[in-house]
Amino acid sequence: MNRTISLRQTGMIVVMMILANKILLLPSLLFKTVKTDGVFVVASLFLIDLLVLGVFIKLKLAYPNQKLLDVLNANIGKIATKIIYTVFMVFFLFKVFLTYSIAFMYLKQQVYQNEFTIIAIIAVLPVINHAVLSGLRTFSRTIELFYYIAIGFFMTCLIIALGSFKQTPSFFVAQPGDFGLALVKNVFSFGDYLFLFLVMDKIELEKKDIKKLLKFVFFGIFLVLSLFFIYYSIYQVTSFMHNYAIADILTITVEFNAIGRLDIVAMVTIMLLSLFQMMIFHYAFSECFVGVFNKLNKIFAVAVFDVLFLLIYYILIGRYEVMVIYVETWLPYFAMVADYLVPIVFLGISCKKGEKSTKNINKVEEGGYKGDYVTEFEGEEVSEKSVLETIEIVLKQQNQKEEKENAENDERQTDKSATNRKAKNSAKLSTEK
Amino acid sequence: MSIFNLQTKIDGIMAQFHQSGDIASRMLEKEKGKLGFVYLKSMTDQELFATAIYRALQNYDGTIDADSLQNKVLQGNDIKEIKEDEIIENISKGGIIIFIEGESKILSVDLLKYPTRTPSEPPTSPVIQGPREGFVEDIKTNVTLLRRRIHSKDLVFKTLNVGKYSNTQIMVSYIDGIADKKIVDEVIKKLKKIDIDGIVDSFYILTFLEKRPDSIFKQVGNTEKPDIVAGKMLEGRVAIIVDNSPIVLTVPFVLLEEMQSSNDYYTNHHYSSFVRVIRLLGLLVAIMSPGLYLALELHHYNILPLNFLITIADTTQGLPFTPFIEIMFIFILFQMLYEVSLRLPSYLGLATSVVGALILGDTGVKAGLISPPGVIVVALAKIALYTIPEQSSQISILQVIFIFIGGSLGLAGLVTGIVYFVTYLNGLDSFDTPYLAPYSPRIPSDLKDGIFKRPVTEMKTRPRSIKNKNKVRLK
Repeated sequence: MNRTISLRQTGMIVVMMILANKILLLPSLLFKTVKTDGVFVVASLFLIDLLVLGVFIKLKLAYPNQKLLDVLNANIGKIATKIIYTVFMVFFLFKVFLTYSIAFMYLKQQVYQNEFTIIAIIAVLPVINHAVLSGLRTFSRTIELFYYIAIGFFMTCLIIALGSFKQTPSFFVAQPGDFGLALVKNVFSFGDYLFLFLVMDKIELEKKDIKKLLKFVFFGIFLVLSLFFIYYSIYQVTSFMHNYAIADILTITVEFNAIGRLDIVAMVTIMLLSLFQMMIFHYAFSECFVGVFNKLNKIFAVAVFDVLFLLIYYILIGRYEVMVIYVETWLPYFAMVADYLVPIVFLGISCKKGEKSTKNINKVEEGGYKGDYVTEFEGEEVSEKSVLETIEIVLKQQNQKEEKENAENDERQTDKSATNRKAKNSAKLSTEK
Repeated sequence: MSIFNLQTKIDGIMAQFHQSGDIASRMLEKEKGKLGFVYLKSMTDQELFATAIYRALQNYDGTIDADSLQNKVLQGNDIKEIKEDEIIENISKGGIIIFIEGESKILSVDLLKYPTRTPSEPPTSPVIQGPREGFVEDIKTNVTLLRRRIHSKDLVFKTLNVGKYSNTQIMVSYIDGIADKKIVDEVIKKLKKIDIDGIVDSFYILTFLEKRPDSIFKQVGNTEKPDIVAGKMLEGRVAIIVDNSPIVLTVPFVLLEEMQSSNDYYTNHHYSSFVRVIRLLGLLVAIMSPGLYLALELHHYNILPLNFLITIADTTQGLPFTPFIEIMFIFILFQMLYEVSLRLPSYLGLATSVVGALILGDTGVKAGLISPPGVIVVALAKIALYTIPEQSSQISILQVIFIFIGGSLGLAGLVTGIVYFVTYLNGLDSFDTPYLAPYSPRIPSDLKDGIFKRPVTEMKTRPRSIKNKNKVRLK
């Protein structure tokens, strides 16, 4: 039985992904390269990402209710699929690192006075592990419940910050070369829709639903662009000095003596968004892990993730800041492969629609989803139907094939009898002669 | 069966009851036959036995056989013919067993009588307006209380007996045509599986009905009020009535039920919504306030308004304990007082309050052992706890957990803790009903009876979160 999530829940996850890695460090990082034109860099990368979303929609419509793994296995072979899944696995692993690093760098510098790295990891890992093991449907429901709180807090930050709005920043100041460089350097903060590919069999999406999904997408984009605009408007040329955009737009408005620090709202927003983003990325990592190592289950995936997380953090990276350097140096090139090159492969596959779709029978989900439910609620459906439908198609095809073969046999037999008759006749003729 | 056999039979039964002090037997010799009676004095109406059975049989001159007794002499009584292996069970349940000499048939007359209390307002759920009746320990009375509210042929009570020694009667009640048959079957299946010595109260079977019995969150509803059970059955739920327990269990269960009170349905819906919001706030304050106070005091004092910060700094200066130990100390003190007040006789309750609040609290503050903000925060949390009294035990555990989280990890830890618990709750379900429905997953039609309640005229469908056969309840 394959448990799906509703379109509404999918949309909310998409908004979380769009906000991921863009609301803290990215505005100041972009400012260092392209000044206020960072807004356009982000907008451009959003546009490119929308193309990836287009590929997802095309693939989803071409292979409804089928696992990406099965689709890839059938179309490009098992080895190529495993390579792609490994690339994704690394991509999502570093995505979790990035989210964690930025969020906790902010917390360490701005909110906590003491060192709390170990305690933070101890606090975060069990939560995201538990979410991943509970299943997509369970943590989608959690996101659904907190969505309005997180987005409400985010918008509150923007609205409060509007009070400090100075003047519209002057745009188009960056050189085209810098603009291009900024585009390339910040790719890793994007790739918002890759997660959807991995859970395409668990998402309810039909042609009529595309508009609804796009509403969520554009809402997320609007929030990010608004943040960039307000941030550059408030800090103008000093933007590079303020590293944590969503929190820093509030600190300028702080009425410390009267109502205390307002950036507590931003802190809660950052915590909520970071946790949900880490859950999603970790889930994606686990999906890829199970895809690569078919014989291992999600518990293994989670254990491996935890070990890698701790190892890389304490041995290879050691400091949060190093992660930010990686984001601008080698990770973008890796992200370009994962975020843009691989979806092109998917595009190719989706064009093959119809050729091999019936080959891939949607496999029944097994284990690892103890928190999922069989009951249907507002789009959350059990897609047994699709499995049955696929089986029906296969049976029909088999019947058709059998019929065809029978017909061919009949033809052959008739041909044979005709040749036999001919031979007999000729033999008769020869004896008569 | 000769007279010797009759006596042997009676002696055999008496022996099976280990010659218990309350087992009794009688013989009645008539010209046309002999009769033997065995019964439990503690479970039967002996006056009725003397007048309606013994004397009636003494005055009867006809033939002594099972048919004549059933149809002529004792026809006004609840009399039935039973098999030999049912004798013990019938005696245990207040039946008088009648043996007839020379007859293989055995008769049982139900003369069950034991002390029961009349339905009264349950102390756990008093109402300002609305019915004040509550369930009692007698299962028959409880069935009557439900029948009085649902006069329908579709109200079904399925009887089961559970418990090796207690042989407790359990009734699974539902409305045929509304309740989902799968849920009913699953409940019965789970109850039949129970192999236990005895069921003393309905809480004994509660954990058997839960999907995750190790969870601190309950997954089965319980109430003492028949109007609530009737309302829930009309929504498609299944009720489980246990003999000797005034608490009736209901499944499926969602957390929202704890926010709902029977009062809400007997007052204006605007007021009901207001009260439900207060309950939700109470829940949040109860769980979070001690942990939040610790987080702010230990990790984020710089985000507090200056005046507030100065006040706290003034009052907490010079305390011998760390804030964490201080809050835990006050918390444990409150919990102890609560436990004491539960167990002490009511006339000692006032004395406990004086000792607790005045002597321990006030003197503790004056002595500089604990701070006034600490006392206020814990007191607030403990008072808020009783906006949802049914969840008080669970919330108390959560309070301790969040005190630890707030103290060690601060605000970020609290947010993480909340997300963890919500994810955990989303993973719970009661008979396939999501625990946090109708909010997560969102079920718009069910929101009409959510935190913001709509009038009954708008609640045209039964809750979608609960599987049921008939969706429409108002046309």
